[in-house]
Amino acid sequence: MTPILELRDIHTFIGQYHILQGVSFTAPHGAITALLGRNGAGKTTTLKTIMGLTPPRAGEIRFEGRRIDGKRPFEIAALGIGFVPEHRAIFRDLTVEENLKIAERKKGDYARKQEMIFSLFPDLKRLIHLRGTNLSGGQQQMLAIARALVADNRLLLIDEPSEGLAPVVIEGLMSAIRQLAADSTVILVEQNFLVASQLAEHYVIIEEGRSVKSGRMQDLVNDRAAIHRYLGAA
Amino acid sequence: MTPSAPSFVQQHRIALISLVTLILLPFIVGVFEGASPLEVWSNRSGASKFVQGLAIEIFILALYALSYDLIFGFTGLLSFGHSMFFAVGAYLTGIAIKSFGLNLWQTFGLLMLAAVVQALLFGIVLPRVKGITFALVTLGMSSVFHIVIMSRELGDYTGADVGLQGVIVPDFISPATERLRLYFVALTILVLFYLLYRRFVDSPTGRVCKAIRENEGRAQMLGYNTFLFKLTALTLSSITAAIAGALHTIYQPIVSPDTAGLGFTVTALLIILIGGVGTLNGALVGAVIFRLLDFGLRRYLGESASFINGAIYVLIVLFLPYGIVGAWQLKAAPTFQQMRQGWQRLLEMFGLSRVRRASKE
Repeated sequence: MTPILELRDIHTFIGQYHILQGVSFTAPHGAITALLGRNGAGKTTTLKTIMGLTPPRAGEIRFEGRRIDGKRPFEIAALGIGFVPEHRAIFRDLTVEENLKIAERKKGDYARKQEMIFSLFPDLKRLIHLRGTNLSGGQQQMLAIARALVADNRLLLIDEPSEGLAPVVIEGLMSAIRQLAADSTVILVEQNFLVASQLAEHYVIIEEGRSVKSGRMQDLVNDRAAIHRYLGAA
Repeated sequence: MTPSAPSFVQQHRIALISLVTLILLPFIVGVFEGASPLEVWSNRSGASKFVQGLAIEIFILALYALSYDLIFGFTGLLSFGHSMFFAVGAYLTGIAIKSFGLNLWQTFGLLMLAAVVQALLFGIVLPRVKGITFALVTLGMSSVFHIVIMSRELGDYTGADVGLQGVIVPDFISPATERLRLYFVALTILVLFYLLYRRFVDSPTGRVCKAIRENEGRAQMLGYNTFLFKLTALTLSSITAAIAGALHTIYQPIVSPDTAGLGFTVTALLIILIGGVGTLNGALVGAVIFRLLDFGLRRYLGESASFINGAIYVLIVLFLPYGIVGAWQLKAAPTFQQMRQGWQRLLEMFGLSRVRRASKE
């Protein structure tokens, strides 16, 4: 099966710093792929590079076979790639409803997806007229993910969804992400290996800006030595 | 039983009362002077004419401040060159009528063209610079325009440092003989633009502008070409400010080069700070307070009024960081916590907050 996303030898600089020094991987269609690695390994930069926020200086990125490196972020998003950045990047001054409506790519997207979104995140329905700034951390994260669902995205990039959230909220988010993967492909950056291993079918390990290992998540879960070596977890 | 939704009149009662008051204002003032409505209608009431003049100035300022609120308050574009939008409208109207003998409609067409061109001029730098850099670049552009209108070479057209004088406006809106008509023309233009702006900020386009104000990168990640939205806001703002400038030329006997200076941009900024940044209503309320305060203090304190004026503005920004309309919307006197949030918001809008900068990286 052709991968939905393919990165080949990506090199990205932020200012003078060479952050990604050769990231290559493929994300299979309709599955969750977790990007794993220690803090500062380059996982978030990889997602930003895919989105065109930190454009690569070398290498190729293909989405559904088309090259997207060199395109601007709004052009990449318009192709059907949704990004849920870390730190619950919602619009604080807008209401929950406005945050969802602004993600429409075609008129009527929100009306069409409303039922599905509120079945995944029932809390949001109750808070619909509240401004983003008045939501709790978990609610903001739900809204950030819900926003990525409004448009028909075929690929979702989700950065650290569980960061700073209570375990009970993480449970809800995990089940929502699982349901999302039924309709679209997900690439997930997750520090919490337990969460990542329960969600993802595939993994890519990034170390010091290079992709060093990839494969099926089940194989990694059974490979204690690799987990210890690359992720520092036992 | 569920409560029924408020009617249109209930929802907009303050706006409607204000509008009716403004329509009746010249006649009410006339009554106090002992003039009949017919005398007011035929511009024979001195006190009414005076109040109409003051109100026209407020309408012009409000229109100008609305245009600034759209780009700064709603789209987050901090421009220090906004006065150029106004001055281009003012000078172009004067020169078109005085030096080229164009009629009002021809002048209006030219004005629209110039407003779009100057918005595009500002738009050229939009993708390259942001925040305070954009403010400085726009200041540079308006300074060039200021120098051009002050130059002796163009003195025959612009009046150089003396200002543009002797513009003969058509009789039917002459501030001397048909001030009441000019009053209603200015009021109508203000109301129409207010409604247009209200529609704009509540539209999907307006929503994206608000998103850009908060975080442009996030808006791009949702698939929006933010440049086009900023350019749209700039163009609408430029057209509005140019029309305000044209009204200024029609009403005032002289167009001062100061209208192109930084000071006049600061006037727009002060008005929306007083009224409430990003509220639209704040531009209207702020213009009333700004002009009346200036008029009242100058009348009684002379030149030292500027000092008191400045002190009052500082106090308003300190204690009402959301402005008067913002404080009204809170429905209570702002708490210290709310004041801190308000100051933080202002710092973010001026690109001076470390939190904002960090979150944008």
